Amino acid sequence: MCDMRQSLLRRDALSAAKEVLYHLDIYLSGQVQNSPSPSVDTTTLELVEEFILHRRMSALQELQLLEIMCSCFQEQSRDAVRQLIFSALFTLQGNQADESRMALLGKLVSMAIAVGRVPILECAATWLQRSHPVYCRRLARVLVDDYCSLLPGSMVPTLNNLSSSCPPFCCQFITAVTTLYDLSTEELTLPVQLLQMVVSWIRDHPRLVLITLLNTPPSSSQPIGSLDLTPLAGLVRWCVKAPLAYRRDGKQGLANGTTETELEAGPLFSELHLSVLQVLLLLPGILREKGLLGRLALLQPDQLTSLISDLSGDLEELNPLHSDTQTHIQLTLDRLAQALQVSMAAGALLCSREDLRALCSRLPHNNLLQLVMSGPVQQSGFYPHIHTPPLGYSPRPGPLGPHPSSHSPHTSFPSQPFLPSMAFPFRPSH
Amino acid sequence: MSAQKDCEFLVKRARDLVSEDPCAAKAWLITARTLYPTDFNIQHEMYTIERNAEKTASAGRLLYDMFINFPDQPVVWREITVITAALRSDCQDKQAQFLRGLFETLPGPVQCEVLLKATEQCFNTLEKAEMLLLLLRRFPESVVQHGVNLGDSLLEAETAEKLETPVNCFRKLFVCDVLPLIINNVDMRLPASLLLKYMLKAAEFYIGYVTRGPSADGQLQGKALNGSQEGGGMKSPSVSRGSQRYVIEGLSEKSSLVAEPWERLLDILAVVGARCEWQADKGQRGYVEMLQWVKELCCYLPSLEGETRSRCCSQVVICASLVLFRSAYLYVSAVQPALFHGVNALASGSWILLEDLSSVYSEVELERGAGKHAHKKRKLADGREKTMSSDDDEGMGKGRGRNIMVNKTEMPGWAETLESFRLARESWDLLQSHDSLGTEFNKICSSWKTDNWLWFRIFFTDMIIYQGHYRKALSSLLQMSGFQQPLPGQSSPGQGNLEHHRTLIQQASCHYALGEYRMACEKLLDVVGGLVPQNQDPVKNTDESGKDRNKPRKGNDLRLLPCTSKAILPFCLQLMFACFKLRAFTDSRDDLSLGHVVVLLQHDWPQGESLFLKAIDKICQQGSFQYENFFNYVTNIDMLEEFAYLRTTEGGRVQLELLPNQGMLIKNPSPALGGELNTLLLPGVQTTDRHHTVTRGITKGVKEDFRLAMERQVSRCGENLYTVLHRFCVNEKIIIIQSLP
Repeated sequence: MCDMRQSLLRRDALSAAKEVLYHLDIYLSGQVQNSPSPSVDTTTLELVEEFILHRRMSALQELQLLEIMCSCFQEQSRDAVRQLIFSALFTLQGNQADESRMALLGKLVSMAIAVGRVPILECAATWLQRSHPVYCRRLARVLVDDYCSLLPGSMVPTLNNLSSSCPPFCCQFITAVTTLYDLSTEELTLPVQLLQMVVSWIRDHPRLVLITLLNTPPSSSQPIGSLDLTPLAGLVRWCVKAPLAYRRDGKQGLANGTTETELEAGPLFSELHLSVLQVLLLLPGILREKGLLGRLALLQPDQLTSLISDLSGDLEELNPLHSDTQTHIQLTLDRLAQALQVSMAAGALLCSREDLRALCSRLPHNNLLQLVMSGPVQQSGFYPHIHTPPLGYSPRPGPLGPHPSSHSPHTSFPSQPFLPSMAFPFRPSH
Repeated sequence: MSAQKDCEFLVKRARDLVSEDPCAAKAWLITARTLYPTDFNIQHEMYTIERNAEKTASAGRLLYDMFINFPDQPVVWREITVITAALRSDCQDKQAQFLRGLFETLPGPVQCEVLLKATEQCFNTLEKAEMLLLLLRRFPESVVQHGVNLGDSLLEAETAEKLETPVNCFRKLFVCDVLPLIINNVDMRLPASLLLKYMLKAAEFYIGYVTRGPSADGQLQGKALNGSQEGGGMKSPSVSRGSQRYVIEGLSEKSSLVAEPWERLLDILAVVGARCEWQADKGQRGYVEMLQWVKELCCYLPSLEGETRSRCCSQVVICASLVLFRSAYLYVSAVQPALFHGVNALASGSWILLEDLSSVYSEVELERGAGKHAHKKRKLADGREKTMSSDDDEGMGKGRGRNIMVNKTEMPGWAETLESFRLARESWDLLQSHDSLGTEFNKICSSWKTDNWLWFRIFFTDMIIYQGHYRKALSSLLQMSGFQQPLPGQSSPGQGNLEHHRTLIQQASCHYALGEYRMACEKLLDVVGGLVPQNQDPVKNTDESGKDRNKPRKGNDLRLLPCTSKAILPFCLQLMFACFKLRAFTDSRDDLSLGHVVVLLQHDWPQGESLFLKAIDKICQQGSFQYENFFNYVTNIDMLEEFAYLRTTEGGRVQLELLPNQGMLIKNPSPALGGELNTLLLPGVQTTDRHHTVTRGITKGVKEDFRLAMERQVSRCGENLYTVLHRFCVNEKIIIIQSLP
């Protein structure tokens, strides 16, 4: 290995990097063939860092290196070997090389999107599944900057095709961007081009949102602190907050004429929200098949808690005297109520109506939300037999996942309704 | 708040939103459905949104849910009725196509159930049948359960509705749609008797369909044209009736259409035959081959017994009957095209099968042989033919190998037509060849009421004429004239008359063949009275279909003659001549007949020259001749010359009494042009060569009035011969008839 390093040192940056890639290919192929649990040794990692990540290269050399890497992944026929090479190059090591690692990764994935290198995008999807959300967001940011801000419009067909050519990447990418843009500030409000892309992906392939969940064996555990299995929670947040966020956006933009954003984004969010509900309805079947029905909360209570407290904050900031304010508030609450109800029915949200009442107690009045918090009136008499898969999912009493509802700040029966004058005629929840 | 109020609230919100933001409306309904999964209105609203947006897949999914979860909702049933109606209709509009697409999205078992339940809700037999048919077409396995019942219900409906014709909507559905499904389904086990019953139902339908009369609007069209073309010279080739529409009551125009009916019938026959374990011919395909095959089978019939025999019987009877009816149809559609819908009746008129008399003028050899006429240098034609007299006993013998003459240029499809006629006759003969076959065949005929089929009677009559059963043919013709009058499409004067004439002429021809000359003349003179003589001389028929033109005809040939004045008048003249010919040339003296013969011999002159010379010969022998109509009707210059010569010494000083009534000549000139012509032509007559010829001998001391009459007559040579002969027939009708026994 020492010999190899010596010989590499004598080469120029590009050919050394090329040599390392070649070495990785041979070395890891051997590992996959001979070892039951193939891994990358430290020496190899050091070679990668020294000759690929740390060597200074001209822009042209860097472009050439990216091309070489592209074809290296493209030509590798064995998925396992490809994944190992990708991992050797880009798995974060917690050292100072990570910065250059991220920079190179961003350029490589961006290039792979542009030229349609599906094998690289598949590796990137896995990377997004295993890496810390902070880094996932950084990669997402790079891609959004490249495709939605730098070149808006020009790449639309290429980007739209991604949803059919590489759904796992799209799914992970959406999850990453939903955590990147939480709509809390103008800065964190997603560009309309990105929204258009996401909506079009999901319109064409609704199941794309569930692809990571579908591809993950039920037993395997997610690395702690990684992205969600699905972007559903993030998408719900987007749709619920959008009427308020874009309203705020629009208000600020009145002067420079960006109100069009609101006009454009409105119908897109409406469509996205419907898609989310429709995808949620697919869940019972999938979860039942995986034996996870009632055991896997795809929407976690703490996510809801933070969403609802965000909403409360947003609502307080709004000028209640503005003409459209009430309409936007009601739209937000309608969507929240719909998302809560359908998630509960689909088994994606594991909590009782009582928990809901506690969560939503400080929100303004909304008829649908009230109906959802109370639950349906139990119909007396004969219940016709239903042949279709039950769409209603009654939350079972019992463990509510890793975050018991007691963590919520509003667990107790609401003592302080948002509008004190309004009575809350709760009915029994089952 | 009650559950119902909740649901109403949710549906209302969705409804309010749908036009402005359909996605939001759907989100509301999805939410609503998870809250109240058993509420019908929520799901119906979801369905309505998708349906109005014509989203086939999602609407189909929701329809499925509704059908499964709310099978008793009237709204669902109304929707299913709309969809199944679209399935049954031919309508191609967007809505109908969407509804059909919607149905296609349903899973097979649900489609099956939908159709079955929809069928149960139908009270109209036709609708019910169409619905069930949709089911059977899609789900062959359902044929076993429902096929026969459906067939029976259609056949029962036909009876219950007292429908007169087999070409009705129930039968159409049964024969064209249900029956193929039943007999082609491998899982169906049906008794042979039922299969045969179905087979006959199918045959009756297809034959009825093919031979259906012209439709109402076709009639109108026909009438207008007939009106403008007086006298039935219906030859205008530019008029086509191919675009006629035809609708079976209760069905749409499209589903009233049956493509290639004879082929479909053959398809059914093939399957039924295989299922009934008929003797199969290798590669048997087509009606002609089928007839050959059953003919062969028939040879074995006497040696068979029991079930094998009756099976063989059914096969022979059904196959031969179908060949018979198809060939008879093909023959009649060529001979009487106006009878049928869709056959181009105007391009070719109708044709009549008659005794062939085209050589009647050239016959010289009479009953007892004729002595050579020494007069002049003219040679007698070498005739070998005999006039025919026939009766039913002789008939059968004549029925073999008679030729049928036809003008090839006037009837382009003559070969096919005659071949169809032959096939039909052979099938008929086969069916009559064994008692058991005849009985079976008669059963079919009586159940189909073939006696009422005018077209078949036309064939039948022609067939027995061909076979020489003239007596039977006459009674058949009598029956035919009974139901011919109200025949559709022929009520216009021109065509109607000619069709009526058709029967009369055929009757005349039969009477002649039976030797009943007086009856023959009565009939034909009735016809001639209604004809309008043509101006031009007939073009000699040169291109004839006789089997072998070099062979002399046997004298019992038949001829297909176009049913037009132009063709009929000459035939009538020939026929009349034939009636008088024997009488005129017998040893006993009959000047009246001989005179008529001379008048008629002018037609087709000089065909009858030798017979004319024979007549002259007879007059010479008699020494005198009395025929007072001579100068009224004889305008032939050769004949006039001959008669003038007879009075001379060289001619034998024959005493001719030809003008007892000179006044009649003057009193009764040709109404249209005769009078004028007389005066116009007289001055010129003196200078013609003819004048010289005719007056040869007159100068030698004949009576002045005879000479004058002759000269006057010469001036009439330019008269249209047909006008003269037509006038002869009309004016002398009574004398003519009376001069025959």
